[in-house]
Amino acid sequence: MNSKTPGDTAMSIAGLGPHGERAVPADQIQLTQTDAAQARGRRFSVAVVLHTTTSDWSKQELAGIAAALGLYSAALVEVVDCNFDFELQVAALARLAREKVDAVISIPIGNARVAQAHRALTQSGRRLVLLDNAPTGMLPGTDYASVVSTDNFGLGQSCAAMLSAHIPQGGAAGILGYGIDFFATHEREIAFRKWMGSHRPDVTLVRERFADLDGAGAAALAMVEKTPGLSGIFAVWDVPAMKAVQALAQKNIDIPITTVDLGNEVALDMARHGMIKGVGAQLPYDQGSAAARVTLAALLGLPVPPWVALAGREVTPSDVIEAYQVIWHLPAPRTIIESVRSSFAAQIQDAGE
Amino acid sequence: MAEEKTTLRSVGRPRSVDAAQASLALLLNLVRTGAATTRQELERRSELGRAVVADRLATMIELGLLKEGELGQATGGRAPRQMRFRQDAGSLLVSAIDQSSIALGIADLNGQMLVEHHEAAQLDAGPEAILDRLATIFDWLLQETEKPAPWGIGLALPGPIEKPAADFEIVPVLQTIQSWQGFPFLERLSMRFGVPIFARSGVQTMTMGEAKAGGGRGLSDIIYVKLGRSISAGLISEGQLHRGAQGAAGMIGHSRVGDELLEAVAGAEAIAREGKAAAEDGRSPYLAQTLERQGELSVVDIGHAAQLGDLFCVELLGRCGRLVGEALAPLTNLVNPSLIVVGGVVAESGGDSLLAGIREAVYRQSHPMVSRDLQIMRSQMGASSGLVGAAQVVLEELFAPAMLQGWVGHGSPLHHPEFQKSLERVTAALASKAAQPTGRVAP
Repeated sequence: MNSKTPGDTAMSIAGLGPHGERAVPADQIQLTQTDAAQARGRRFSVAVVLHTTTSDWSKQELAGIAAALGLYSAALVEVVDCNFDFELQVAALARLAREKVDAVISIPIGNARVAQAHRALTQSGRRLVLLDNAPTGMLPGTDYASVVSTDNFGLGQSCAAMLSAHIPQGGAAGILGYGIDFFATHEREIAFRKWMGSHRPDVTLVRERFADLDGAGAAALAMVEKTPGLSGIFAVWDVPAMKAVQALAQKNIDIPITTVDLGNEVALDMARHGMIKGVGAQLPYDQGSAAARVTLAALLGLPVPPWVALAGREVTPSDVIEAYQVIWHLPAPRTIIESVRSSFAAQIQDAGE
Repeated sequence: MAEEKTTLRSVGRPRSVDAAQASLALLLNLVRTGAATTRQELERRSELGRAVVADRLATMIELGLLKEGELGQATGGRAPRQMRFRQDAGSLLVSAIDQSSIALGIADLNGQMLVEHHEAAQLDAGPEAILDRLATIFDWLLQETEKPAPWGIGLALPGPIEKPAADFEIVPVLQTIQSWQGFPFLERLSMRFGVPIFARSGVQTMTMGEAKAGGGRGLSDIIYVKLGRSISAGLISEGQLHRGAQGAAGMIGHSRVGDELLEAVAGAEAIAREGKAAAEDGRSPYLAQTLERQGELSVVDIGHAAQLGDLFCVELLGRCGRLVGEALAPLTNLVNPSLIVVGGVVAESGGDSLLAGIREAVYRQSHPMVSRDLQIMRSQMGASSGLVGAAQVVLEELFAPAMLQGWVGHGSPLHHPEFQKSLERVTAALASKAAQPTGRVAP
């Protein structure tokens, strides 16, 4: 059984919001029966604008949004895939500001460059709920209704704590950071550094950044080459982490890695006892569901908190199957289950010998 | 070198170096604030001759302070080229330190925040820990954003900050907290980054932040009230922050309600205490449950309970709102603001009951003309107002005409002769402090 009940996770949100707000736990956002009836009667239309729709995270986020909206007879009328291109996002928001939608749920791609387009959408009379971050300078109430996010600060701390076990006294740890101005990855990196600074002041931290995913493997290799005693790496999310795993494996380098999000590849690597030693995972389905409830509350004119957060979940190789079910609302793939079983059998055999 | 250049290029009427600095400063501020951007406008607003304006602009372009921008509106003949202030000539580091959190950010020279970060921190953990955290994140912000070197640090601190006797003079801060006594906080931070540092009370910077980028944007008369563990207010009157004789203006939490201080009956701790009492004696079933689950209660729980309709909490927050409103009403009558912004953790969690209480008392006790167009709103900026305000503080200080004249010819405030001297003094003082033996050697 998952030891982290909703009550527990509500207590452990470590990070503050984009304006220093204390988080309101996502499970506190619920519609009463009266609100629900009113929402159903008004048959709202909602559009979603995402950086990509192809990642595991996006698919689950969308599933959570669609299911929760549907429950209250709100239609998810359009999903925009911006393919990481901020210009596409700006154009999509400008178009939605003229179309028949009541609200938009959007994940801002970057910071200042998309702020004005988001503001303009709110000014057009549509409700705007943001995922993960609010561009610097945008204000809740005026420019958007709420930000719904995982506690990225907490995720960074978890990853530091899990990596710390693999770093010897006086060793070095590397950060594989994102070269784009993005609140969520900033928070993870700051939290990782802070945890290491206060719990492991003996550890030297080094960093390489990648601006696009194809550069992540090379950045990890560069870090290992520059720092001979490097004992572990924290990658700010799972896709660059797996790029690093592939690049390092090609050079026969085996180094402990922790990262954020339990993507399929990362889960499989953990199950095989590969380089990934721990994951701080977001719960995108739950986040999507919370974002939908916040959107409906805002559409009904109810007061909504400016910062709604969900605690993440720590995953280690020993509970990857159960964690997979909690995070993805799906059974773990066959390959993961078999890998866990065979490595477990190998362990028993080792112990017997 | 820049000074020589200015002197060499000076044509027309003979003028001293001081006058040259004054005209440079005047023109820079006209362009920076957008008051005048074309050569023609600059000549008219500054009352300087065409040749002098041309010379000063050329100097400032060379110093990297101004650049030529796009074409302006033609008024017959060629469209004039607009001058632009180089907001990327330097950067500003800002931090707002509170009892239980710190905020940090980096801004450009127009005071526009580029990146900000907020995290939990305990002030009573001592100055060394906070200093270390500030330095670490400032370093990270500079590296991450790849912005040019900072020109100054703006700090918002809890409690009043004294006015320094002279420019760049550093004042002691947070002396009421035991672990901070005698600690050269501003000196260390200023020296670490080699930049001037300007500090104000948290509530004063938040007031400036609200006026610049929050509900008070474009308004010249606003009051900001911070409702947290302590209660204080900031005032902008006719566009200027009112600091008071000692810099301690706004301590309204010290006004009396019966025999008690306002902040002792309507501050965050008082509200939490009342909530706990009600949880224990059964007046609030919701709080009783929360207390049992969490083992403690904060004003956030009471705000949440009020939102869910807990009668005790609705009444408690309404009463606190009225008490705060009663303290604000005389102030409202005195200064006739167009807006009162309410911020701080109590305002954020207090919901509509609190705001309704404040409104009720202020409107009831103020003159009809004063309250006719008065708006009372909750802050939307949260702790960001402290950061935006701290950036404004640095800009107002660095670009104050007298200060600006001291550095404009050098292209950066870091080369201001008085700042250089101040930095040397601080460095020497800290070095001598460090050199003092910590223990007496036995004879």
